[in-house]
Amino acid sequence: MSRPSRVFRLFVKKRGDRRTVSPLAGGLGEALFFVVIFLIGCASLAILTTSRSPVDDVLGQPITGWTYYLLLFVIGTFLAMGSGGLIYTVFHIGTSVERRASLAERATKIEFLSEMKEPPGAYPTIPHDDNLTNSPGIELSYRLPIESASRWWLLTSTLFTLVWNGLVVVLAVLALRGIFRGATDWRLVALLVPFTAAGGWSIYYFLRQLLIATGIGPTTIEISDHPLHPGQRYEILLSQSGHLSVRWLEMNLVCEEESTYRQGTDVRHETVQVYQQPVFHRVGFEIETDAPFQIRSELEIPRGVMHSFQSGHNVVYWKLTVRGDVVGWPPFQRNFPIIVYPPATSAEEPY
Amino acid sequence: MTDPLISIWLRDHQRPYAPGDELHCEYQIDAVDPDEFQAVEASVLWCTEGKGDEDIAVHYFERCTPNDFEGHDVRSMRRFVSVLPNSPMSYDGRIVKIRWLVRVRLFLRKGRQFTDEHPFVLGPLCSRSDAG
Repeated sequence: MSRPSRVFRLFVKKRGDRRTVSPLAGGLGEALFFVVIFLIGCASLAILTTSRSPVDDVLGQPITGWTYYLLLFVIGTFLAMGSGGLIYTVFHIGTSVERRASLAERATKIEFLSEMKEPPGAYPTIPHDDNLTNSPGIELSYRLPIESASRWWLLTSTLFTLVWNGLVVVLAVLALRGIFRGATDWRLVALLVPFTAAGGWSIYYFLRQLLIATGIGPTTIEISDHPLHPGQRYEILLSQSGHLSVRWLEMNLVCEEESTYRQGTDVRHETVQVYQQPVFHRVGFEIETDAPFQIRSELEIPRGVMHSFQSGHNVVYWKLTVRGDVVGWPPFQRNFPIIVYPPATSAEEPY
Repeated sequence: MTDPLISIWLRDHQRPYAPGDELHCEYQIDAVDPDEFQAVEASVLWCTEGKGDEDIAVHYFERCTPNDFEGHDVRSMRRFVSVLPNSPMSYDGRIVKIRWLVRVRLFLRKGRQFTDEHPFVLGPLCSRSDAG
C-alpha cells in the first residue's frame, strides 16, 4: 500500500479524488486556499463599494451601470466560493470517501412515508438507537458513531473566522485608503487594532480546532451489543489511529443531565455530569501510522442507574468519552453516544 | 362556601409500580353543588421538575360530565385501570426529575377549577446518587 507523501507536490497530475499529500496537509491547503479567495473577495468588495478611484485608474473611466453590477457579481462569486469551499472542507474533515458514498447511497433510499410513521411506542422518551446500530463493527457487533457536536463547533468557529476577518479586511481597506490620501482616520485605525487582534485569535483558534480534527487520527469504538441495560456486561474495542506519542489515553462511561429553560427572553442550557465510571486508562505509549492502538475492555452498566431519556426540555444522556493527551497536540476529547434502556428483566417481560 | 373535596385512591400505591403493571385508581368528588358541576378530568401522567422548563406527557386521560355518572350523581365513585408503560421511570436527578402522578381536575361553573394529585413511583426510583 502506498503512503501519501508528506511534501507538497505542485506539478503532479491529480487522479480522481485521491490526494498526493497527507490528508492533513491537503485539508489545511484546501482551507487556506478558500480563506484567501474569501479575503480577496472582501477586499475587492470594499474597494468597489467605498471608492471607485483605484478601479478608475485601471479602467480609465467611471464604473457605472451594468459594468458595476458585473463586477459585483464576480466579487460575489469569490465570496461564495471562498466561504462555501471552506465550510465544505470543514464539513468533510474526518469522513472517508467510502463513508460519504455510503451516506449518499442511503439518502437516496429513504422512504419518506416510513420515516413519518410513529416509532414503536415500547419505550416512550427513550431515543431510538437506529443511528447507533446501522454501522457493523469489524470485530464486535456495532461501530459507534462519534458525537457531531465537535464538528458543529468547528463549523461555528469557521463561520466566525470568515465573517470577522472579512470585516477586518474591509475596515483595513478603508483605513489604508485614508492613509494614502493623507487623511488618516485615527479612530478607524485605533478600532482596527483590537479588531485585528481578535481576528488573529480567531484564526489561531480555528487552525487549532482544524489541527485537532485532522492531525490526531480517527478514534473508533466497537461494542458487542446495543442498546445497553443496567446490570449487563458488554465488550468494548477502542481503536486509535495516527502517528502519535501518547502521554495518556482514557475511556469513561459518562451520564449527563441536560436542561433547557427560558430566562426572560433568553433560552439557556445547563448540563451537569451526574455519573462517571472509568473503563480504562493507559499511560505513555506510541502509536504508529500502520499499527493503530487497540484495546479490548469490559463495560458494565451499573444497576439502578437511570435510563436514557429525552423530552422537550430535559435530557438524560449517556456516552462513552475518549480523552487523551498527545505530545505536540492540545488535549482532545471525543464522545460516542450510547442508549441505556431500563433493566432488561422488567423491560422485556410482556404485559 | 367550602372548596370541593377530591379524593384519589391507588391500589398498591405503597410499592413502586413496574412497567406493564395495571394501575387501579378510584376517585371521588364531594362537597360540591351538582348545579355547579361541569366536568371532571382524570389523567395518569408524568412531568419533569428541576431546572429545565416542565415537560409533561399524559399516559391515560378521561373526561366525565354529569351524564357519565351513575344516576347523574357526581359524588359517586369512579374507577379506571391503566397499564403502565415501559418508560420513563421515576427519576430524582440533580437538575432533571421525573414524577409520575394521577391528577384529577374538577371544573365548576364560572371557570373555577380544583385539582388534586396522587404521586406514585414507576420502576425502581433512580437517583443521581444511584448513578454515582
